[in-house]
Amino acid sequence: MSTLLTTEYGVKDIVKSFGGAKALSGVSISVKSGEVHCIAGENGSGKSTLIKIMSGIHAPDTGLIRLGEKSFTKLSPREAVHEGVQVIFQDFSLLPNMTVAENIAMPTYILNNSRILSKNQTKEIASNALSLIGVDIDINTPVADISIASKQLIAIARATNLGVKMLFMDEPTTALTRKEIKRLFEVVEQIKARGVATVFVSHKIDEIQEICNTITILRNGEVVGDGLMKDFDRKTISQAMTGLDVSESRIAPKLEKTTKKVVEIKNFTTKPTFSNISFSIAPGEILGMTGLLGSGRTELAEAIFGQYPVDSGEIIVDGTPIQLNSSSKALKAGIGYVPPDRLTQGLFLEQSILNNLVAVGIDKYQSKGGRLSKSRLIEAGERWIKELRIKTNNPQNPVTSLSGGNQQRVVLAKWLAMNPHLMILNGPTVGVDIGSKREILKIIRDRAQEGMAFLVISDDIPELVQICHRVIVIKNGQISKEFSEAELDEKILYKELS
Amino acid sequence: MNIRKLLLRNETALIIAIVVLSLIIGIKSPEFFTLANLFDIFRSSFVQLIFALGVLIVIISGGIDISFPAVGIFAGYTAVVLMQRFEWNPENLLLPIALAIIIGTILGAINSIAIATFGIPTLIATLGTSGIFRGLMLTFIGSSFISDIPVALDKFATADLLKIQPEVGTLARLHVLIIPVAILTILVSLLLTRTMFGRSVYALGGGVEATRRLGISVKRTQAKIYMLVGGLSGLAGILYVSLQRKANPYDLAGSELDIIAAVVLGGASIMGGYGTVFGTVLGVLLISLIKGNLILLGVSGSWQRAAVGALLLIGITVQALNESKKAKNRRVSTSDEAGQ
Amino acid sequence: MNERLSRFNTGLLADRKITQLMIFTTLTFFFFSYASRDIFFSSSNFISMAYQIPEIAILSIALMLSMLTGGIDLSIVSISNAAALVASWVMTTKMDEAGNLSTNWIIIACVLGTIIGVLAGAVNSILVARLNVTPILATLATMTLFNGIAIGITNGESVSGLPEQFMRVGNGTFFGIPTPFVLMIFIAIAVGFLINRTTLGLKVFLVGTNRKAAQYSVMGDRKVIAWVYLISGLLSSLAGLIIASRTSAASPDFGSSYILLAIVIVVLGGINPNGGFGTVTGVILATVVLQMVASGFNALRFSQFLYLAAQGGVLIFVMILNVILEKRRTNRSIAKSLRS
Repeated sequence: MSTLLTTEYGVKDIVKSFGGAKALSGVSISVKSGEVHCIAGENGSGKSTLIKIMSGIHAPDTGLIRLGEKSFTKLSPREAVHEGVQVIFQDFSLLPNMTVAENIAMPTYILNNSRILSKNQTKEIASNALSLIGVDIDINTPVADISIASKQLIAIARATNLGVKMLFMDEPTTALTRKEIKRLFEVVEQIKARGVATVFVSHKIDEIQEICNTITILRNGEVVGDGLMKDFDRKTISQAMTGLDVSESRIAPKLEKTTKKVVEIKNFTTKPTFSNISFSIAPGEILGMTGLLGSGRTELAEAIFGQYPVDSGEIIVDGTPIQLNSSSKALKAGIGYVPPDRLTQGLFLEQSILNNLVAVGIDKYQSKGGRLSKSRLIEAGERWIKELRIKTNNPQNPVTSLSGGNQQRVVLAKWLAMNPHLMILNGPTVGVDIGSKREILKIIRDRAQEGMAFLVISDDIPELVQICHRVIVIKNGQISKEFSEAELDEKILYKELS
Repeated sequence: MNIRKLLLRNETALIIAIVVLSLIIGIKSPEFFTLANLFDIFRSSFVQLIFALGVLIVIISGGIDISFPAVGIFAGYTAVVLMQRFEWNPENLLLPIALAIIIGTILGAINSIAIATFGIPTLIATLGTSGIFRGLMLTFIGSSFISDIPVALDKFATADLLKIQPEVGTLARLHVLIIPVAILTILVSLLLTRTMFGRSVYALGGGVEATRRLGISVKRTQAKIYMLVGGLSGLAGILYVSLQRKANPYDLAGSELDIIAAVVLGGASIMGGYGTVFGTVLGVLLISLIKGNLILLGVSGSWQRAAVGALLLIGITVQALNESKKAKNRRVSTSDEAGQ
Repeated sequence: MNERLSRFNTGLLADRKITQLMIFTTLTFFFFSYASRDIFFSSSNFISMAYQIPEIAILSIALMLSMLTGGIDLSIVSISNAAALVASWVMTTKMDEAGNLSTNWIIIACVLGTIIGVLAGAVNSILVARLNVTPILATLATMTLFNGIAIGITNGESVSGLPEQFMRVGNGTFFGIPTPFVLMIFIAIAVGFLINRTTLGLKVFLVGTNRKAAQYSVMGDRKVIAWVYLISGLLSSLAGLIIASRTSAASPDFGSSYILLAIVIVVLGGINPNGGFGTVTGVILATVVLQMVASGFNALRFSQFLYLAAQGGVLIFVMILNVILEKRRTNRSIAKSLRS
């Protein structure tokens, strides 16, 4: 009987290719109204293509989009909105130069084909939308001036305001603290109660388990598993996602007892981002660091590397203090840093693999009279391609020709080439496939065995447990707890985090 | 809005700059504070302001247009040439103005094709079209100076709304254009703040991808923007011809600098997303003020351009310093909130 | 190793662009040679082209450098005129009545001219690299300022009647080749060496491709950008000296259309306006093409205005072509990455 009351939304047998390569090959997904459905999959599994098809950005080659009783072969962005499909993108797609009220009200005007706006109506639409999800934010503030968590809520208010029937949320929790996630889930429950079919796109398994009723797992553009959430557990989900039997056994090398320290951080403080941070790392030690986004962990890492201002504190590398707030001094002292976003911070996308491999410490390749020694450059490039097993047939090809995992190895290589004493890795395996992830962790282990010290910052708790000798948790800009090798345990770490 | 915020606004800084500058000039030569001089500043601002309104719209959308003087003079000159050739010489202004606006809009449409259809960077696209427009006009439409412009345009040059003869000094004339230009300014302001099109312009400047996802057609909005700017430039061009009482196809070359300077000083961000009509009005007044009154300051008129350059340099330096301060504050405040 | 080296030096993409340009150059040459057998295809025309090419080629190379970093230097022409004026002023004041001047003074004058260029470049460097002002805006302001100061000091008049010995540089020959052309080749080789054979050059390409990544790679991105604007100022001043020497005059208004021409050349020469890619060879070839079009138009008695329109047309055409080719390439690379 219940099928009569609920409406189904989704896609049937969707095929979509780009220039001959299939991004989706026959994907079907069905979500009922009042249900929270999860789409899980690794990068490149077809998640984002699917979202783009549902929101009218791409047209599928074949297959149907089903929204209740209606079927479509393709949607335009306008139709998608008209039919009640809304997407909350990971970056929220808000306009920073406009007020909260306008950001929320704009789609309503667009939907109604209004040409003239009234300020009062704008405010009314916005306050209604916010109160509908039970949120109170000053609607006259420009979006540029508000916090990430509020932006998330505004994006939801905007999306749910328009007679939404199917709501996609793309990685909605990445930027939120545990408390904010709880708040978000309350809002999702409300939306659910209103009969919206919600789709949660995420890779954070514990969160999926908490909020979702049903799940579809995608891999290489195909559905490799679907059903009720309760029929899946952590292991089956990640196995389906990767297609591999995931072994997450510890691979950290044995650490020699020593009093030597590669780096000592003393009382690092930049108010209000972080304060009184002190720790040290021994040769060959892999120190893990985790914390929620906004906890100050990235800022701290960048502060050690001289890219984020430090107000006070001391950093001692191999017994000698080095000047704060200077990346070139940090580089000289032997500190390397792989930033979290490979595409915008790590790579020179249109440049050749070779140029990317040598981008740090270019001056090393200078011969007399300021000349650039190309033969040494090429030699170095080819050595690293071999050493890190980067898959390419020509180092002159643009770095975009590589897969995510190989691209990450290029970023890693350009720093390893400097042979740093301390290597800071911020999210070293984000967005790489499971095979590459293993390889990258092995590279870290091998270097550590040779005595290189590592600071690994990651969201991926199993990864930290797998590779680290010690893990510190950052909360509100302070070290909230330190776990020694013996204490490392996923569950306890998760608990400390939230 | 609290006082601190009000003080930090760009418009406030501009008003202060205008007042201080006026006082300095006024102290040096009291003739500055005459009605005649004030009306002169207005008169020299009309055409500039209409151009500036167009440029403001483009800059808010995140683009830049440097073809507007070419479009303006093309439209103004061609309208006059057409009227002469076909011996149209009506008493009223409607025909030349309509002609110029239509021509301007067509040229704007060419910019639209280059920018919206092909996605050429706006600076390069409008640089190219401005060469095309000027070159084609001078080759095919005419390259000689026309002094007997249609009678309606000629008469309009001296159409004064007010004539005030003070007890001493020169006759102060307030040109009738002040009314239509004021109305136009208010209309553009309403267009930008109260209509979906205007908000789309701001949205575009705030983020192209986010705008697209809202369901606003980026291409269509861009196309409309450059056509609108073309139309405004056409209008400015014909009024320029009228006020000069001659049509010189070589005119207005190089005037893009003053106008872009005025808009930028008025607080519009070249990166897009920010800018107000009020700020632009003040920017235009400031530039007119300094250009028109250098002599009263005891500086030769040949320093006009240097003065505009210096003003622009000061303006962008202050804006850059503010921006870096703001970025610092923002970084601290967001991490603060996240930390709570 | 050698084969690998040569592959590295040019890169397949750059190779293809140069080949395309070569074909384009040859076609242009044959077209005008055929259309105007007696005037265009004559040694006197080729010699006069060889005297006209260098100044604009050097300015274009200067512009190329800033564009490689993803910026733009709109002030090149203003700097070139300022340098020429300073040098000319020194020479004319030190000259005896017969128009003779010792070589030492000529050298001092030229050195002062280049110092002006470097200083002007330094102002741009501070604005762009230090204060993070958008290059378009920063150099628009300095372009106005430098030009304005030049007009202010000279009252808009040109300085002419330069010493005989100085003019010999711009009008003489060196082993039968026009001296300016020799100087241009020398500068082209030097800049080519700088961008292809030095660490600074590699950094320029990397900074132009991704400034953020350059920052995280600790290559001193600000220093790189500062150098680029400094060198751009230096090269502009050299172009100015060559112009003064060839024309025996310096004027604040010289070459007002050169900025359009330089951008046309740089874009036609295959430099990506977003930064990261380009070659000196491409710029030189593009200059030759544009000069042939100019001389060809002249020989065919087309108006100079048509040449202006043609410049704009070439710019828009090349940009549209680039957009279309770029789209095709991205589609292909998306397909490739999905297949792998």
